Amino acid sequence: MAKAFDQVLVDVRIDDLPRRRVCRAEPSTPLGEIYRRLDEERGVAVLICDGPELLGIFTERDILYSTALEGSLDTPIGDLMTRDLVTISRDDALVDAIRTMSEKGIRHLPVLGSDGEEAGLIGGRDVLKMIADYFPGTLLNLPPRLHQTMDRPEGG
Amino acid sequence: MRCPSCAADNIQGVDTCAECGADLADLDLPEAGRGFSGRLLGDRIGDLKLSPPIVLAPEASVSEAVVAMREARQGCVFIERDGAVAGLFNERHLLTRVLRKDLDPKVTPLSAVMSTDLLQLTPDDPPAFAVHCMVSRGLRHLPVVSEGTLTGFVSVRTILGYLNEMAG
Repeated sequence: MAKAFDQVLVDVRIDDLPRRRVCRAEPSTPLGEIYRRLDEERGVAVLICDGPELLGIFTERDILYSTALEGSLDTPIGDLMTRDLVTISRDDALVDAIRTMSEKGIRHLPVLGSDGEEAGLIGGRDVLKMIADYFPGTLLNLPPRLHQTMDRPEGG
Repeated sequence: MRCPSCAADNIQGVDTCAECGADLADLDLPEAGRGFSGRLLGDRIGDLKLSPPIVLAPEASVSEAVVAMREARQGCVFIERDGAVAGLFNERHLLTRVLRKDLDPKVTPLSAVMSTDLLQLTPDDPPAFAVHCMVSRGLRHLPVVSEGTLTGFVSVRTILGYLNEMAG
């Protein structure tokens, strides 16, 4: 029998989640380069670091607010990033990620290691994927539509 | 699988009890109200805290969409044509289809950069279906349409809120 939802939430650690490949940049990186990397590397956020130290984050959502719609693509990302970070520890449980994301309205959390070093990023969809992995019968093996009727015979 | 009428042990998946002939067809269906899976399959999307959608015309510019998204603090807008949902434009599209293509947001109409052929939910669909679409098809915003009218949308945030409430 599969584990109960409550159990999964406290048993699964952030470290168990498949981490996104993280885009990293320095504060001096220009906005245009950040756009290029988010696009080509299919990233949802860029972590701005100075060596091992995490300084800030710039997410897809920030594009809306500090877009090149008005500004210049040469602006260093250090001037645009969010410095006031909400992070999560790799030892925290899945439920902590859900709670933090939900209550603070944040979709992307930088993950910190035990010494406070930057250890990746998790997003809201990573959380959903993890839960789906635990409940495949409920979440993955669904027909395209639950009460679907086909308007053509199979193969038609 | 135990028959609820005569308690005889039957092979998993049979439709009728081998002992008394009682109907067992419904016994191994996922059932609403049984824990997490039951709720995900039994609850209605219409009962979640859906976000009210921003709706714009196909001729509206990307800049107008950005202003509306900023004001509503939402990541997407829906585009309606003749009263029906025709498209979706979100922050990812802004990056990949406008900014990276060097299009001018002030003159680019949403119709040129929106996603069309949207997968739509109805208020009666279960939350499990929305999660399924997000995880397996990589969709981030799903319109909820009731009798042809866009009534709201489900985002990753909606689902996280729902899970958080369930986690208690």
